[in-house]
Amino acid sequence: MIGILDVFLPIISCVLFSLLTIPIVKATHKIKSKRNAVILIWFLMVFITVAITVANLAIKYYEQPPPQPFLSITLAAEQFAIFSSVFMIDAISIYMAIIFTFISAIVFLYSIFYLDPDKRLSERYYSIMLIIIGCIIGAAFSGDLLTLFIFWEASAAGSSFLMLHQKKPESMHATLKYLVMIIIASAFIVYGLSIVYGITGTLNFWAVKQALIALADKHLLIIAFVFIAAGYAIEAAVVPFHMWLPDAYTPAPASSAAFLSALIDQGSYYILLRVLIYILTPPTILDWTLMLAVLSALTMVVGNLLALTEKNVKRLIANICIADVGYNLIAITSVTPLGIMGNLYFFLIGGLTTALSFMAVGILNRKGFETLDDFSGIGRKMPFTSLALLFGAFSFAGIPPLAGFIAKYLVFTSAIEGNLSWLAVIGVLTSIIQAAYLLRLINYMFGKAPKEETKIREPKKLLIPIFIFVTAIIVLGIYPTIILNLIEPVIQQFPFVP
Amino acid sequence: MQNTLLLTLLLPTLTVPFVYLTGKKSAKAAAVLVALIAVADIALLSTTVPAILDGTAEHRYVESYYWIPVLHSSFTLFVDGISLSMAIITLILILTAALFSINYMQGRKGLAEYYALLTLLSIGLVGVFITSNLMIFYFCWELMLVPTYFIIGGWGYKEPYRAAFKFFIFTHAGAVFVLLGIGAIFMITGDLDIFQAQAALMTARPDLVKWILLSLTAGFAVKMAIVPVHMWLPDAHSEAPAPMSALLSGVIISAGAYAILRVSLGTVFPAVMSTDFGSQFLHGLAVFGILSAFFGSFIALVENDIKRIIAYSSIAHMGYVLFGLSLFPHQEAMTGTVLHLVNHAASKGLFFLSAGAIMKQLEIRDIREMGGLAGQMPITATASTTAALSIAGIPPFACFISEFLIFVGAFQAISNDNFYLLPTALMLIATVLSLAYALRYVSHVFLGSAKLEKAKEAPSSMKSAMALLTALVILLGVWPTFFIQLINTVHFV
Repeated sequence: MIGILDVFLPIISCVLFSLLTIPIVKATHKIKSKRNAVILIWFLMVFITVAITVANLAIKYYEQPPPQPFLSITLAAEQFAIFSSVFMIDAISIYMAIIFTFISAIVFLYSIFYLDPDKRLSERYYSIMLIIIGCIIGAAFSGDLLTLFIFWEASAAGSSFLMLHQKKPESMHATLKYLVMIIIASAFIVYGLSIVYGITGTLNFWAVKQALIALADKHLLIIAFVFIAAGYAIEAAVVPFHMWLPDAYTPAPASSAAFLSALIDQGSYYILLRVLIYILTPPTILDWTLMLAVLSALTMVVGNLLALTEKNVKRLIANICIADVGYNLIAITSVTPLGIMGNLYFFLIGGLTTALSFMAVGILNRKGFETLDDFSGIGRKMPFTSLALLFGAFSFAGIPPLAGFIAKYLVFTSAIEGNLSWLAVIGVLTSIIQAAYLLRLINYMFGKAPKEETKIREPKKLLIPIFIFVTAIIVLGIYPTIILNLIEPVIQQFPFVP
Repeated sequence: MQNTLLLTLLLPTLTVPFVYLTGKKSAKAAAVLVALIAVADIALLSTTVPAILDGTAEHRYVESYYWIPVLHSSFTLFVDGISLSMAIITLILILTAALFSINYMQGRKGLAEYYALLTLLSIGLVGVFITSNLMIFYFCWELMLVPTYFIIGGWGYKEPYRAAFKFFIFTHAGAVFVLLGIGAIFMITGDLDIFQAQAALMTARPDLVKWILLSLTAGFAVKMAIVPVHMWLPDAHSEAPAPMSALLSGVIISAGAYAILRVSLGTVFPAVMSTDFGSQFLHGLAVFGILSAFFGSFIALVENDIKRIIAYSSIAHMGYVLFGLSLFPHQEAMTGTVLHLVNHAASKGLFFLSAGAIMKQLEIRDIREMGGLAGQMPITATASTTAALSIAGIPPFACFISEFLIFVGAFQAISNDNFYLLPTALMLIATVLSLAYALRYVSHVFLGSAKLEKAKEAPSSMKSAMALLTALVILLGVWPTFFIQLINTVHFV
């Protein structure tokens, strides 16, 4: 049986290690040689511990699947239950915890080599990253709207520190913009949640859902829905609330951009999925599908058009993140088991691909290559880095046998199943635009002659985490069963949506 | 053997790194390795011939492996008469392309990558023909795209990446519509196997099936370069290096035709066959076929660039093929159409290789500057003339037989459906046009007085590749029995 401790362990271990990280990394400043090795061993230990705690939870869950669709665990006893947090464990949250742990470990490996280790602030950076990982796993396990809100806002706000790590003036600016957006979003969400609490008298997912099904007058609920959906849409960068994303990601260090796109972005889609489908289930509670479908179409079109006109490669990839929101929304709007499977697969693949692209672009930015023009002939100068970026681009474009294809296939098919064929057609058309600008990037990298023919030494240590991701997208593209079998139980849990 | 087809795909997949490493040492050895892989694949595939000819009632050889159970997909590979014929001719072309490349690509940079990409391409090309699972089909369909893109871009002429980009975007745009169709088939039938899906689609809503059919066919037609979605073809075919042009024209566009036959017509079409829409659809195919045949022939007649003439002739021939497909399900017509794909692949491959030999030796592309090359380059001239006459449909060369069979099918169709009277007549006129441009090509390039002093015969590897295909074109013309027997085992509906 899963106890409250099992759920808490991953979260607590992240937070605890984060606190320990500061003195330990500080202590390494005194070591002259093999400093990186010490830091590496420390974080290896951290992630092995986190992985063990997550694995412990997963094993316990799958050993004895609970009779209910999800298992809810309350922190305090009977009469205080109302003040305490509820945690909810189901196949989705376990899956999310696993992919968060995996991706963050690899991105961490990259950050260790990417950030100049002599810089004073690096221990703070690592410790904030660890706290965010803890919070985001906490958000995945949340069972009531307030717990979800607290964990999620903690990780979203915390990520602003990662953005301004290098203290560039433009990143200060962007972070301010991001923080303002987050604050507006959380105000919206709090307002919406207070209405929900007023209507139902509870914030527990399951209880809210039951209360809302019985609700006769839905006027107030619509207002609450608008605020909650708008709040989470701002955080997920759904068009028309997308402007902060490219601004925030472009000046941030590549390791932060990779971390944010792979964890915070995917986490925000996860929350959209959770709140929209599992709590405000259409059509039993509210029929929001058409509205979301329109937003999804807009997001895909705008995101891809922005990327099409973009000259700065890092910004281009940030714009692809916006387009990816659109593709994720297709699956959410379809409200089908296949759509949720597509979503979950997309979370992983989108995270891997954006992280890998940001990481590869980070190496190139270090060497002074920023725009498409600078990228001319990079393929000959830095073959491995550009090969990685090539795989990222083809995976984004949905070219098999890379994993991006399976993700897109699931998403488009779910739209057809959900009677939203027009959305699938728009998705397909925008993915042609996507192929076009990614191919233009490849054209620049491999087709154009470089300005100068010198070979540039590639940082091998940074390429290791990148190629772990490349291997992952190839393997998951050819044999997606590894992941699909893991998320298949979701389909069995879907029936609790009547 | 039990895993013949899996081995056929695994062999090139696993040897890609070896080809690359060999290529780093010696390009020639890499080319020989690619050729050997193709020969080994042909040998593997030919072991399935008895199973097809005297096997079960369905004349199919099937292998199935565990793959993605969640999506009801198993890794199913199969061959029947049609797919085996297509796979064999594909491998023969890859073999000759690799041989031809030894001298043709001599002195170019990055040949290790070139041969590795060629091997990678062969996986996609063969895979498309030997799978019955739509997901693997789509995998291979797109796997044709990426290596081709890099081969055209990396070793092409003029502005190669521009042509490659156009090729990629056009065919990828087509492919995503195919993907939509595949997704819809999966949604309706819950199955991705073309034979299972066919039965399941029979009970589906006809209006839905209609859209699936249109979406799939439109997607395949882009690859097939049917007018008006042919725009990528002339650039891609003429800017690509000659061995790639041979593969593009011989196999890649044929894959589009094969896919229309196998997926659009074989799987989806039976569900709407008896409706009005069914006959309208077939008539539409015939109309677009005629359009392509005339458009391609006319432009080939006035074009002066040596490779563009052949490229436009490919559009024309895909027109004939589409016309042949519109006669579905007449047995003679279907046999003729598939046989035409095989014959056209051999003839067009030969045509492009010989044009490449001329371009390589003379370094000019305008046929008006050429003349009298027959004396200076006798073997290339023989090869080119054989190819041109076959393309024109002159007996005893290959394409004559298959065009003849298509027309036999057409005359049978006329007796059922008056509509085909006019298209058949127009198609007969189009074959005359093809004779015209073929003769114009031959007379401009090879006949008349010698204009170029320095012209020399092509080096040995190019000569042997051309000789091989010339022999094949003549053999297919005088003894088509083997392929006809194979193809005739497949019955639609």
